[in-house]
Amino acid sequence: MSEKRLIASEQIAPVTEEGTEYDFYFGPAHSGSGNFGVKLKVDGERIVSARADPGYLHRGFEKLMEYRVPMQNAVLSDRLCILEALNWNLVHAEAVDELTGVEVPERARYIRVLMAELSRLQSHLIWYGVMSLALGFDTGFKIAFGYRDYVLDIFEFITGGRVYPAGYICPGGVRRDLPEGYQEKIVNLLRQTEEMMQKIKDFANVVFARRTKGVGILKLEDALRLGATGPVLRACGMKTDVRKDDPYEIYDELDFDIPTEREGDAYARCLIRDREMEESIRIIRQVLERMPEGKVRQPEKITPPKRVKIPEGEVYVRNEVARGEAGIYMRSVGEGEPYRVKVRGPDFLHMIPVLEHLLKGSQIADVPAIYWSLNICPADMDR
Amino acid sequence: MTETPHNENKVIGEISSKFKIEGKLQRERRIWVTTVKESLVALCNFAKGLGFEHLSAISVTDWPDEGVFELTYHLWSYSERILLTIKTRIGRANPVIDSVVPIWKESAQIHERELHELFGVEFEGNQDLAPLFLEDWDGPPPFRKDFNWRDYVRERYYDKTDEREKTYCE
Amino acid sequence: MVKQATKMKRLINAIWIFNWFNSCGFCELVPLVGSRWDMERFGMIITGTPRHADVLFIAGYQTFKSIKRAQIIYEQMPDPKAVIALGACTMSGGMYWDSYNTVKRLTDYIPVNIYIPGCPPRPEAVFEACMKIFHHVGAVPPHGKKFAKSQSK
Repeated sequence: MSEKRLIASEQIAPVTEEGTEYDFYFGPAHSGSGNFGVKLKVDGERIVSARADPGYLHRGFEKLMEYRVPMQNAVLSDRLCILEALNWNLVHAEAVDELTGVEVPERARYIRVLMAELSRLQSHLIWYGVMSLALGFDTGFKIAFGYRDYVLDIFEFITGGRVYPAGYICPGGVRRDLPEGYQEKIVNLLRQTEEMMQKIKDFANVVFARRTKGVGILKLEDALRLGATGPVLRACGMKTDVRKDDPYEIYDELDFDIPTEREGDAYARCLIRDREMEESIRIIRQVLERMPEGKVRQPEKITPPKRVKIPEGEVYVRNEVARGEAGIYMRSVGEGEPYRVKVRGPDFLHMIPVLEHLLKGSQIADVPAIYWSLNICPADMDR
Repeated sequence: MTETPHNENKVIGEISSKFKIEGKLQRERRIWVTTVKESLVALCNFAKGLGFEHLSAISVTDWPDEGVFELTYHLWSYSERILLTIKTRIGRANPVIDSVVPIWKESAQIHERELHELFGVEFEGNQDLAPLFLEDWDGPPPFRKDFNWRDYVRERYYDKTDEREKTYCE
Repeated sequence: MVKQATKMKRLINAIWIFNWFNSCGFCELVPLVGSRWDMERFGMIITGTPRHADVLFIAGYQTFKSIKRAQIIYEQMPDPKAVIALGACTMSGGMYWDSYNTVKRLTDYIPVNIYIPGCPPRPEAVFEACMKIFHHVGAVPPHGKKFAKSQSK
């Protein structure tokens, strides 16, 4: 099928002497591109080369964190990647906890994992909605955003904010305990999400397979060289996940699988995210069964910021957020504010080297399928 | 849960026997090693040979009182499941260092491009150090410690005479 | 906006929107299109090009790189038009007040008609802002009042 397409486009005679090559800017105001631009050199319908154009959302996060104390940074850390606020909250809180050496209570760890997995579920629902929209499948978009709202209701019930939980996962534990009646609500939510997953399976073969099979193939050695992590790397055949390789919180006590595929194309990445949603539901069920009693914060009272100092030291914390491997390097010299914070987001590698590599040689009509199958978030690339 | 194998002492032993530097074991799966800038590329090549094929991040810390930039390279090994961090120092007045692009290719190249723009560090051997995030920026490299953002912002953007904005200037 | 009200009265019974959302705006404006908050029942849809749009939603903090593009989009929209600024960071720098790269005073670059505070604002707040446009142009009578017979078209 692809051979036929090649020959047809080469047979079209060029309009001018110079040929059919032109520059195409898939820019930030384009409805299919998020806040990120890609400059493409196109020849007819084939893309010859691509150059990423980041920086529309650059705020200088890392240096903003140097002016604020950890409890203020916890509120700021939701906004590192807006689509999965609680996951990044967790990374930052772990970095500060490791520096201060505090022992986080057991119940707080379980609550952290519960919120992180709910946030991963919500992030994959957004991905499903936006991917369907990019492929022209409007029903999937409406369904995904409809079901995502139920997860946001739970966030509002527990933390107070629909999208930004205002630093709910803070250094030392979590800010406040879970309210009464959270179990029925979460069990209800899981039932609704499974209902939606059933609908997704019915759509997958018809809609997604046709547009994403064989498109944007990434081989394993290229993925390792370009720095891909998370679902993008797992789709190439490498069975690795930070939750299993470098366990944090209570993930080493829970029972879950790591879905992998072999082909490395956009369809494989879609299948992996579907299965990850199922694994998240499985983890949430285990956490609800095993939730212990106890304190939720160590120390219990939140003291005014100016009196607490972070001990001297440096740490590098790795977590698995919905998009891949997240890292924070924090260096402190004994003052109230950290001296240097370096944030390593998975999208920094996915949006520049991996995207430029995948777009080379593909067709213009395949650009949305490749672009959104990488599940990008410009906010955590620019920081 | 099965215990995933990780042998930090073996890695520390191999590095110390080849380079005569002692790695520090911070906790399980975390090794920190400090070296001089001339042997950085050799150490990185050796680490890649030991299985550290994933470059997680490169970071620069600015120490203006001591007049140095401290670079940290965070390497992860999928087979050993250990994180090795290599630290090195370069002078602040003339920050030049060899690039690790020949070892880790594109994933190193993009990290170095960002650090060149934000700190002004020169990486020799990196072909593409074009500006990444900022357009028409003619000030100093923004993440250095001597560029105080709060003073800069109060000076340029907030109007001290305006009632709503003067709270920012206090 | 007062001068445009007479022009808009004849043209607007439904407003078409061009979204220029940076980060936070995405999280709270896209659910508006979804089935729970459904803005299409009010006649609002999202257009792909500024030439078809009546209202420009600037949602989320702007950096110097992106405000240039927003200005080009504003100039491409035909009259009559309105601009709605969404979120605390857009209006006054918000949480990023000490960042060297964000825009602190949006009115230096684009004239704004309505501000919606919040971080991020709830979908109901966005609907109320759109209602204010309808009230202003007289397409919908203010609360509790009816159109006089001579006023209705």
